[in-house]
Amino acid sequence: MKKVLKAGLVAGGVMAILAGCSSDEADSGTSGSGGGSETIDMWVFGTTGYEKLADAYMEENPDVKINVQTTEMGDHHNNLFTALSAGQGAPDIAMIEVGEIERYREAQDRFVNLYDLGAGDVQDNYLDWVWNVGGSADGEFQFGLPTDIGPTAMYYRTDVVSEAGYPTDPAELAAEVDTWDKYATFAKDIAEATGKPVVDNAELIFNAKRDQASEHYFNRDNELIVEENAEIREAYDYTVDLINADAVGNMPLWTPEWGQGMAEGSYATLLGPAWMQGVVKGNAPDASEWMITTMPEGAGNWGGSYLTISEESDKQEEAYAFIEWLVSPENQLESFKDMGLFPSTPETYAAEEFTNYSDEYFGGINTAAVFAEAAEQVNDVYKGRNYLLVQGEIMTALNNVLSSGGDPDQEWEDAMERIKQRLERE
Amino acid sequence: MVSKSEKYTEKKARRSLSEEKRHSIAGYLFVSPFFILFAIFGLFPMLFSFYLAFFKWNGLGEMTYNGINNFTIIFNDPIFWKSIYNTVIIGLLGTVPQLIVAFLLAYALNSQVLRFKNTFRVAIFMPYVTSIVAVAILFSIIFNNQSFGLVNSFLGIFGVEPIVFTQSEWGAKIAIAAMIFWRWVGYNTIIYLAGMQSISNDLYEAAKIDGATLTQQLRYITLPMLKPFVLFTVFMGTIGSLQIFTEPLIFFGGNLREEGITVVAYLYRDAFENNFFGTASAVAIVLFAIIMVFSVINLLVTNRLGRGKARKA
Repeated sequence: MKKVLKAGLVAGGVMAILAGCSSDEADSGTSGSGGGSETIDMWVFGTTGYEKLADAYMEENPDVKINVQTTEMGDHHNNLFTALSAGQGAPDIAMIEVGEIERYREAQDRFVNLYDLGAGDVQDNYLDWVWNVGGSADGEFQFGLPTDIGPTAMYYRTDVVSEAGYPTDPAELAAEVDTWDKYATFAKDIAEATGKPVVDNAELIFNAKRDQASEHYFNRDNELIVEENAEIREAYDYTVDLINADAVGNMPLWTPEWGQGMAEGSYATLLGPAWMQGVVKGNAPDASEWMITTMPEGAGNWGGSYLTISEESDKQEEAYAFIEWLVSPENQLESFKDMGLFPSTPETYAAEEFTNYSDEYFGGINTAAVFAEAAEQVNDVYKGRNYLLVQGEIMTALNNVLSSGGDPDQEWEDAMERIKQRLERE
Repeated sequence: MVSKSEKYTEKKARRSLSEEKRHSIAGYLFVSPFFILFAIFGLFPMLFSFYLAFFKWNGLGEMTYNGINNFTIIFNDPIFWKSIYNTVIIGLLGTVPQLIVAFLLAYALNSQVLRFKNTFRVAIFMPYVTSIVAVAILFSIIFNNQSFGLVNSFLGIFGVEPIVFTQSEWGAKIAIAAMIFWRWVGYNTIIYLAGMQSISNDLYEAAKIDGATLTQQLRYITLPMLKPFVLFTVFMGTIGSLQIFTEPLIFFGGNLREEGITVVAYLYRDAFENNFFGTASAVAIVLFAIIMVFSVINLLVTNRLGRGKARKA
């Protein structure tokens, strides 16, 4: 009898544990450290340094406890997606990357409209295009407050550029290569003089042209417009022309040969965002030949994030107070100094630390000023939730042209066909 | 009036009956964790996937009924058929040579002449323990597109132009099949080895007395006796190769290209890159059907093969 009872207890215990796993009760709010303090859960990814700022905030506001949890970017977004899909388990504050934000548009009802919490008052602090990407297509709903951004500029190798007879000074080079036509000539000159491609791969040159277009693949009603969009086709044709002129390398992003190319100067320019500075320094710690100047005809944006508040949070106002403080112009300056996060608040660009900034690695020039100038030139475009699908198919087409000698027009048409085929599933 | 002893036995009988019942309840409780976990993490997702195959759903918005449209969409997609073709080709390239080599390796490891057997056994089994991701990263370095990649520089010795592995029809398949071969060959070797060691030595001794050569011993004793083991590895190999996923995903660096996309990679792309869960579920059902068909074919073929051999022996 005793045995049976024991067995029952053990089995019951197991079931209780299982049951405990499945019901994720929202008791995290009461698990704060001190009595009566409010715990705000915040999910972030990457190296933001927000833990330090959160500590500073908690010192000023002793009744609030902020629990910053950092996860790898892919996992972070998957966890958030699952939690939102399930309707429970999302944190009070979640960071969403700019490329991922489109995925969550369908879940608008699971986020707090930040306009309801007073976001309209701080809207003017941020660059318009940055602000708009974090809002709904009609601008009535604001998902998140912008954190850092990734305005793009032209990184170039002084050794390769001077070999082709071009000036190495950033201002002079920018003046000489200020249009895409001149960039094409520049590419030819580089190829003739050094035998090296002007860019590392087809992706970045296409992206650079694409980001200067006023519309991309979808309009604000989420209709596919890529086929009729002359600007995108022009970006495609421009890339194809460079490929045919042997000016495009085949070093895909993040591969070892791409990194090695940075150190050895296997390509002349890298059309990358502000945060690429860290990547360049990491891959080419000894090469002091890298310099930065403005890109021809404008700039694009690659990267950056938004801080959102979930509808299920029961501390929405406290959470908003914190994020408004966290991404204010003053604190974006702190994040810039601490982790190199490029501010989305133009006010910060006037700060002394910003105007006097210089980077020894990049020849002692004020790189911050170059990117600040780029940030204000970025176009305000709507991307749409299947943006990456379309981008992926166009890249496949370009890579086919690049490495298997595919017919550009045929590849374009095939890509359009594949895009339509796949969009039927939506 | 019932006697005291009668009452006692009656009571005892009733009690023992209920005790038996309690025992069986306890038994069910003991085995329940598996069934509970299976129901939550196995059965429910499977059934939900069947259900989802008839809906349009992006994971966050409304689910809308879509009838058999999801199936129509994937059946009209040439890339879906390409993914099935790729899966079969990569599966054949990866498993057939692998099983043959595993058999030969096992035979070598089982032979009396070989020294340091345990070292070799461990060495051969080692790749199986390695993480698939590590293997895939390593192989994407070996099968690098540039002329300085290991395979390309080797081919360069013979004057072959560097192959763009990630974008070549056969290059991609061979690279992925090579990963599968390398990782699983040790696993199958160990299984064959276990099988060979279970064969009684008397058979070989008798054969030797009759003057059988090594090849004859291999063909008439080892092979037929190993039939259940071969059957098992062929089964596992077939199902495993129909589910090839991580290797192409890492090899292509996320951009799953037509040349090497497999059925599961196709499913993954629909579900987790674009959040088209409806069509992804439809693919899952088709894959389920394909695995069933292959298993049946396997069963028929291997049975027949085995019977033929047994008769000859």
